[in-house]
Amino acid sequence: MSGEDSATYVYAVVGAGTDLPEGLEAVGGGTEVAVIDHGKLGAVVSDVARDRPLGKRADLIAHETVVNTLARELTVLPIRFGGVVSDDRAVVDELLSGNHDYFVWALEQLEGSHQFVLHGRYDQDELVRGVLESDPQLAELGDSLRGKDPDATYYERIRLGEGISEQVERIRQADAEHAVSALEPFAVALAVKEIADEDGAVHVAALVHRDHRSDFEQAVDALGDEWADRVTLQLLGPVAPYDFLPEAPDGEEG
Amino acid sequence: MTVSQRQGPSRVERAPQGDLAQVIDLILDKGLVIDVFVKVSLVGIELITIDARIVIASVDTYLRFAEATNRLDLHQKGGKDLGQMVGGMTENAAEGKTKGAARGMLDAGKEKVDEMRGERSGSRERKR
Repeated sequence: MSGEDSATYVYAVVGAGTDLPEGLEAVGGGTEVAVIDHGKLGAVVSDVARDRPLGKRADLIAHETVVNTLARELTVLPIRFGGVVSDDRAVVDELLSGNHDYFVWALEQLEGSHQFVLHGRYDQDELVRGVLESDPQLAELGDSLRGKDPDATYYERIRLGEGISEQVERIRQADAEHAVSALEPFAVALAVKEIADEDGAVHVAALVHRDHRSDFEQAVDALGDEWADRVTLQLLGPVAPYDFLPEAPDGEEG
Repeated sequence: MTVSQRQGPSRVERAPQGDLAQVIDLILDKGLVIDVFVKVSLVGIELITIDARIVIASVDTYLRFAEATNRLDLHQKGGKDLGQMVGGMTENAAEGKTKGAARGMLDAGKEKVDEMRGERSGSRERKR
């Protein structure tokens, strides 16, 4: 569809002939989610009002829900939130036709796989305890500050915290390595992600083939058992392969 | 290769879909961006969430670690020996982020998002 007031919102690119699940809710609400096929590809789209700003919580959740619902069963190329073309004709003429070979190739690369994201958080007390037990100098510094006026020992406390922080970073790297080696056998690819939180332990994205999903999840559970005392794990997914989209090959227009 | 069967319920929390911050991290930060996209305004109300994430290795972090030290009583309770782990490490396994965006493509919303994110955008150079 198209019109003066509406444009076409694009969620994802899939293989041609895809049947959408029932009941998908469109970004902006009210319209239907549909597929526009072209060649070997399909674009998952809905109408969106041109004058309606996007980016409310419900819009973000709707986008993510559509893409991840598809990703559970299909191989998808997720489009970043907010991808809009002028109308349905533009979906074919500009989006699918212009990038046809790249999209087909990218779908082949990802065939049968979807993504999981593993987040881990440290128990801070256990974390700090472990650091102090392994580093007598820091433990001594910690002891010397116990019960002292915090304001009077401000710089010593910063020195202590900085020392702990350095050790935490080393532990974090070791844990990332360990997670990677535990999950690697069951993943097509892994990406260790940046950690943005002082209690953050691991943040790993995994591209997992559907056939190996159960083995992968068991490996995650085993990791959860192994780290039970000090790291709480959360497994997000399956989601679309956001972290593993193949870049356009050399020579492709871009 | 298989993993041996484990006993008992999983300790790992399953989340089919993340919380809003995790959703934002995925769909605003990654996914294909195509140069034919038209501009549709993107509001910033919810995007603030992403800026709320704290930065590692700040003075605040140091002080919180120091505070954690203060509340621990090492002599009373034996803890786990993380020291072994600390000893046996080599280099950084973290490779940083992989970039999802296809080269050179433009994004209707990205400029705006970067604006809102302020300095965070500085660490995310675009692929050329």
